[in-house]
Amino acid sequence: MLKKFIHVKLLLKITQEYVNSHFTFAFSLLFSLLFLAYSYNYTTHSWRPIVLLFFAIYALTTLYIGWLNLRIKRDLTKFSEIQAGTRRFGYPLLLTLLSGNIFATSFAFVILSNKKTAEYTFAVYAFITQIFIFGIGAFNLFKPYVTNLFLLAMGIFLILACFYAVMIVLCAKYVTTTYAPKWMFIPSIILLLATVTGNLFATLLGYSLLQKARQVNPSAIEKWQTIWHKILRNTMAVFGLFFIIFMFSLSVTSNWTFEYDFAIENNYSALLQAPSLEYPLGTDNFGRDLFSRIVFGAQISLIVGFFSTIIPALVGGTLGALSGYYGKTTDNLIMRSLDILYAIPGILLAIAIIAAFGANTVNLIIALSVGAIPTYARTMRASVMQLANFEFVESARALGASDTAIIFKHIVPNSLAPMIVKATLTIGGAVISTSSLSFLGLGIEPHIPEWGNILKVGSTYLETHSYVAIFPGLCIMLLVLSFNFFGDGLRDALDPKSN
Amino acid sequence: MVTIKNNVNATEHVFFYRTFQKLMHNRYYKALLFLLSILVHPFSYFFYKKTKNSNHYQQNFEQRCLTYKEQGLYDKWLKAFMAQEQAKASFFHDNVQNSQLQETATALADAKLTRLVEQDLAKEGLEHLNYWQFFNQQLKNTKFIAVTFLPALFFYVALLVLANPFLQFIVERLLQSLIVIIGVATLVFTILYISPFDPARNILGVEATPEQITNFNRLHGLDQSYLTQLWHTLTSLFTFDLGTSFAGKEDITQSIANKFPVTLEIAILSLLMAVAIAIPVGIISAVRPNSYVDYLFMFLALIGLSIPSFWQGLLFILTFALKLQWFPATYNPSNWLSLIMPIVVLGTSITASVARMTRSSMLEVIHEDYIITAKAKGLNEFTIISRHAIRNAMIPIITVIGLLFGGMLGGSAVTEKVFNISGIGSYIVDKQFIPDIPAILGGVVYVAITISIVNLVIDILYAFFDPRIRSKMRKS
Repeated sequence: MLKKFIHVKLLLKITQEYVNSHFTFAFSLLFSLLFLAYSYNYTTHSWRPIVLLFFAIYALTTLYIGWLNLRIKRDLTKFSEIQAGTRRFGYPLLLTLLSGNIFATSFAFVILSNKKTAEYTFAVYAFITQIFIFGIGAFNLFKPYVTNLFLLAMGIFLILACFYAVMIVLCAKYVTTTYAPKWMFIPSIILLLATVTGNLFATLLGYSLLQKARQVNPSAIEKWQTIWHKILRNTMAVFGLFFIIFMFSLSVTSNWTFEYDFAIENNYSALLQAPSLEYPLGTDNFGRDLFSRIVFGAQISLIVGFFSTIIPALVGGTLGALSGYYGKTTDNLIMRSLDILYAIPGILLAIAIIAAFGANTVNLIIALSVGAIPTYARTMRASVMQLANFEFVESARALGASDTAIIFKHIVPNSLAPMIVKATLTIGGAVISTSSLSFLGLGIEPHIPEWGNILKVGSTYLETHSYVAIFPGLCIMLLVLSFNFFGDGLRDALDPKSN
Repeated sequence: MVTIKNNVNATEHVFFYRTFQKLMHNRYYKALLFLLSILVHPFSYFFYKKTKNSNHYQQNFEQRCLTYKEQGLYDKWLKAFMAQEQAKASFFHDNVQNSQLQETATALADAKLTRLVEQDLAKEGLEHLNYWQFFNQQLKNTKFIAVTFLPALFFYVALLVLANPFLQFIVERLLQSLIVIIGVATLVFTILYISPFDPARNILGVEATPEQITNFNRLHGLDQSYLTQLWHTLTSLFTFDLGTSFAGKEDITQSIANKFPVTLEIAILSLLMAVAIAIPVGIISAVRPNSYVDYLFMFLALIGLSIPSFWQGLLFILTFALKLQWFPATYNPSNWLSLIMPIVVLGTSITASVARMTRSSMLEVIHEDYIITAKAKGLNEFTIISRHAIRNAMIPIITVIGLLFGGMLGGSAVTEKVFNISGIGSYIVDKQFIPDIPAILGGVVYVAITISIVNLVIDILYAFFDPRIRSKMRKS
């Protein structure tokens, strides 16, 4: 009896569907409560009907998931596996995509398929991302005019979404963890081409399928699968990755569907409008559409975040590798000089650099990069020092490889994992620093729509029009949170020792 | 080149000898000690040369060589080496001349002879000495110390200090911090020096005449060379006299001294808040890993890490100051209530980091063998955690707190701007628009110095409190 009890308990713990249902339940509940709290206007003592409707939908979803959770538990206790009948109850949950409940939708996809390959998950998220991109773009229909490319772009988005939906079914049917049929070659090429829309899930799916369909290097496939299996097991990391890719795709495609003029041209007939269908998040003090500004702001944040991570990673990584490999005087010289950089807080160093060279995007990237070099150098140095004593390095040296070749062909590729993890975790910090400096008036030029700039405007209208400050901040927080979640997942998957 | 090893006697003084011998292996210390005892060296070198010329050693050496040759041992070795070389040549099918083989064999035999003779002589207390070894030997001599004590006072003081591994560590660490601080000042100065902006134009306006600009530059020393300006800046930084700011003619040191305590007060209170909240949270999370409480705490911690502090500040002002009217929206030194929001905002991200760090550090410690031992002894969970786990888990956390404190001082600029606090951060931000070089420089460098001092103190405290570091130091 006790043995069975422990068995069931363990089974519940390792069944992804069960854990996921708990998680989805908690989040849906949280969101319904938030909607409930917001549905009542305390100053005018009236209800907000639209918010109340959302509350009802979310509350219903929550109840449904709670019931499904109990059913999964019963199945696992009775039959030790989830019955096909229970899985079928996932179909109605797919409708939650329309209410924007991404947690419930992804849970629906999790429960619908009993074999979870990385490809299936990629296809699911490629589909969800495309639908979201389409939905966000559709808000432009309420504008006085749209871009020339609008219809074409939206059409492509719709076709791609349908294609991804087909891919979900195909992946669930034909793809296993080690094998994909030969004809998958054709869709994988189309998927790789879809990268131009910024939907990196499609890229990942295409690459994965291509590898499996060609069946050239089984060990590479295995390695790729194991890493992604570990990352995708971590639900929060997946949502993090989803939001990052969604933001990336949005900033890639925003020029096609969003009119830049609404974000930068002053419109004195619509100053500080409250949220409406034409202006989904209202307008600012120059009558510029906040929604468009925030969408375009994602571009800047991602660009600055990316470059101010990649530059110090390259510079610091090289310095750290040289320092760790040569040791002694080289090491002392490099690391002691970097100690000087390390002693100045990043923001202050950035302020000093901007004070000296002026505030613009390029200077901002440089300023943020310089301060981040020492941390990367330290990370790289530590792993290079560890690796330099391994036998494969010795054998490379015995074969007459030059120091440069040993460092950059043998040691560095093997010590990239901690660097990648570190980089992912610091992009978030760079995004915060960017907007902080813009907020202080030291970052991006004020006319460019950037989240910190929008917030700066919002801070002056805090008392009367608080939404101008709230929405961009929310975006910053979500983006940084996503990078942190994804970075944590990546660390657990690639570099478990460092935690 | 010779000295006869004295038999150890009671009056011999080995303290300085041992310390010097140990330190001589490090060339930086060697150079430092040489500089400190520079007055003694001409004389001791003279004596060294004198003893070198006495060919006591050479005589002994030759005599010993002769003995070996007379005993016929040398010829025996020569034959053996010859046979060895021939065998080698025939094995590799090398066509080597006989004379060549003879040569190699002789060289090998000679080397063996020299080695043996040197060993024998060393046994009798005769050995080669270079100058440093000679000098080191002298330090055993009480008379030598007495004579040289005054001229090389600093040398002996250095030896006294460096003899103790703790003191040595502290001195090294202090020196390192000093170098870093000078480096920081130089770096920030250089960045501001190569700036393409012209402060004179910015302050005097576009209509300023060339004379006015020259006058301004001369007044603030901006027309001097890089090195002169750098030297002037460094001395003024360390003598706390930065002169007046470009705009407004205020005394910079005075302004910084007025603003620094405000920033420091808020930072320290934030740190206290962070420690008070984060450590219990981290411990609870680690004790019940993967529970709902753990998930909730870690989720909140991640949100705390991800929230931009200026946005959090604005939300707080909106909610607690404008809507609920619990706290005043801006900082006011006479009202302690106005401190609460800045403290919470500044402390949020550090609280989150410390909580995450505490959790992972505790998780690591909890799986150590000594915790299992404690469990096996039958201790209850509370005792295990409070007596055995926390103390060991705290070590990495304290380092992290030290590093985060630095980031917090730097990040205070944003929080100060949001709450309108006139601290050092907002001072630097205000001055950078001009750019008021001495003010920015002073602000940044003094913040960096504070951070260096905090980290220095933490490192030194470690050396005293962590038994592992202590024992490692003793061994080395």
